[in-house]
Amino acid sequence: MEADRTSYRPVRAIGLLLILQVTGLAGFGVYELAQVDWRGIDLLAPPRGLAEAVAFALFAPPAVLTLLSALSFLLLRRKGWLLAAISQGLSLAVCLWLYTVLQPYYVYPIMAYCVLMILYLNSHDVRAMFHVRRGAEERNPGSAP
Amino acid sequence: MAGHLTEEAAEALLRRFEPVIRSTRGDKFYPMDVEPYVRACSLWVQRPGEGPLCVVPGGKLSLERLPQQPLDEAGAVHFLRFTDPRHIEPGSGARLGRLRRGAKDLKESRESFRAGRGRLARVGYVSRFADALYSIALLARGRVPGEAAAAAAAAYRRIMGGHEHYRYHGRVLRQGGWIILQYWLFYPFNDWRSGFFGANDHEADWEKVFVYLSETEAGEVRPEWVAYAAHNYTGDNLRRRWDDPELEKVGEHPVIFVAAGSHASYYAPGEYLTELPVPLPRSIARGAGALRSFWQEKMGQFAGEHEGRGGSSYLSIPFVDYARGDGLTIGPGQEREWEPPRLMQDPPPAWVSGYRGLWGLYTRDPFEGEDAPAGPMYSRDKSVNRAWYDPVGWAGLDKVPPPNEALEVVVAQQKSVSERREALRAEIQAKSRQLKDLGVEAAAMRDRSHLDAPYQETANRIGELSGEVDGLRARLAADEAVSESLAEYANRLRAGEREPVRGHISRAHRPASEDELRVSRVAEAWAAVSVSLMLISFVAIAVFEREHLISMLVVSVALFAFVEAGFRGRLVNLVSSANIGLAVVAALVLVYEFFWQLAIAAVLILGLYVLWDNVRELRR
Repeated sequence: MEADRTSYRPVRAIGLLLILQVTGLAGFGVYELAQVDWRGIDLLAPPRGLAEAVAFALFAPPAVLTLLSALSFLLLRRKGWLLAAISQGLSLAVCLWLYTVLQPYYVYPIMAYCVLMILYLNSHDVRAMFHVRRGAEERNPGSAP
Repeated sequence: MAGHLTEEAAEALLRRFEPVIRSTRGDKFYPMDVEPYVRACSLWVQRPGEGPLCVVPGGKLSLERLPQQPLDEAGAVHFLRFTDPRHIEPGSGARLGRLRRGAKDLKESRESFRAGRGRLARVGYVSRFADALYSIALLARGRVPGEAAAAAAAAYRRIMGGHEHYRYHGRVLRQGGWIILQYWLFYPFNDWRSGFFGANDHEADWEKVFVYLSETEAGEVRPEWVAYAAHNYTGDNLRRRWDDPELEKVGEHPVIFVAAGSHASYYAPGEYLTELPVPLPRSIARGAGALRSFWQEKMGQFAGEHEGRGGSSYLSIPFVDYARGDGLTIGPGQEREWEPPRLMQDPPPAWVSGYRGLWGLYTRDPFEGEDAPAGPMYSRDKSVNRAWYDPVGWAGLDKVPPPNEALEVVVAQQKSVSERREALRAEIQAKSRQLKDLGVEAAAMRDRSHLDAPYQETANRIGELSGEVDGLRARLAADEAVSESLAEYANRLRAGEREPVRGHISRAHRPASEDELRVSRVAEAWAAVSVSLMLISFVAIAVFEREHLISMLVVSVALFAFVEAGFRGRLVNLVSSANIGLAVVAALVLVYEFFWQLAIAAVLILGLYVLWDNVRELRR
């Protein structure tokens, strides 16, 4: 049982890190929305803060995917690597797009967190745990005529 | 069997183990005798800077006349021409009719051949683009003319009409304790490209299958290994042990599954993905290798399916070899039987050793794929072919002693290692003694200011000698382990144990599995149209969405890649590659935006770490 618990430690760690990410995203979202003065909005010339708060909605789909993958890591153990990877990729894509358009301050911490998560998810040990590599015999050799 | 082999004995051995050939339905050319082929050919010479010159016209050439060509200037290439329409039937009005019949035969054979899941459905976009470029390059490169396959079919039909025969060319030789039976199969034409979606067409095709025999003390021979040639592969992966279950046999006759068009030989029926590597420029390959190594080793990251392969080729063009075994079968007790072989015993006949030219059309293809091959003894560059002079090394068997010699070799090696250990012990003893002498000398000189210089010199010598003795002791320890291992191995051999039957194979040719072949028509259609569709969509974006050119291109590439990866079951690879790309860009953005903050943070973290480490040491 001890060995089993040890082997699932990285899986649980990834699950917890993903939950932390979702919590952080939710925190940023709430903070952004709280910063907007909803009564004094001029629809013809919306303030930059409003645009940034609305743009934060783009993080909703990746946040949902992150939450689902975190739950699958914590509850189903070895399922959900692909979902987690897609959610990190989507989050980063949204960050980079927002960086080119609005440059809101919140993209930087999200970017940094996603970069670290991607490196961790792609690390050799984690990949080896999730994907059984095909053996050398299964591959075809190279070089023709 | 000891000593020189007579022609009769050689022929008897060849016939005893001659292969059974299972070809693929749709194939048109089968192993034939070289004599009628040469008789049907004309001989040409291509000198540098000149046009090809006919030396012997069609119908006038023979095996005897073939090697009787005068030496020519450097760079000149002699070649045969089998499909020259002028020499198929000189002066006959029936020439066109024959060509038509040949073309009709080819059409029928191609109708009987179904490619199944195309090669493009099995490979990715980069390879598909490379394939398209390769096809375009064929227009510029020298290539066998389009009608050549039909003309060859007509000529082959004419030869077989005169005397239907199936023949191999045999050679028996001894090397490194092995008796090697060489079966050289000559096909008049390779129609892999025009007939079976392959890489090339060329006149004449020499293929080979070797059987390696060991000899008992009583003089009995026993088959131990076979090696089938496929394209330009060499080494361990080519050969199979006689008791390997993958090797199909009919009695004592190994079965070869011959690929349609290319005539590559395989051990099992199926469809084989063969890759033509596109080498990167050396500097780029070196840079890519260093990057991969940093990513994998320093960053501890997964480096893809090619991890650990260390190949320099990151790009290859895929082709499928169809070796289905559902066509004509040739061999003892089969649909067609072999005729007695044409022997090529040493000293080789003049047509083998005296003619260094090509056995078919010389197209001057820079990649040589469309040029005919040279004969069994030579390569295209006129050097002697390794398979001819070193058949044991060609199949990687040069490190394997024949079973009757194995124990003897192991015992000899044990003795050699034992002698080496003795020598090492003596050397260690002498150097240890020397080390002690120097140690005493150094101790005597310590703290004597007038002896500072010699003391330093002695101390340096002690350091060097100590390193040498360390190295010698490590070698001795390793040799002791090797010695034990050899003793165990010798015991296993005495008990009749053998090595694992496939222990020598690192990467075997493997036919596509049922799963790989099972694919929906949608996936097949997608493979056929996706490259063109993507290029058209690029043009449409450039014309109609110029304002959002970059973002639309990115989105369309991502969409195509996603669909493609879904069809090919490679979503994980795609997502991780895309993520790595995004992470690199994001990291660069962060460094650009927060360079000084990151630098300060790094220095702070380093300082704190050093402080923590020192405090921890203090508290111990």
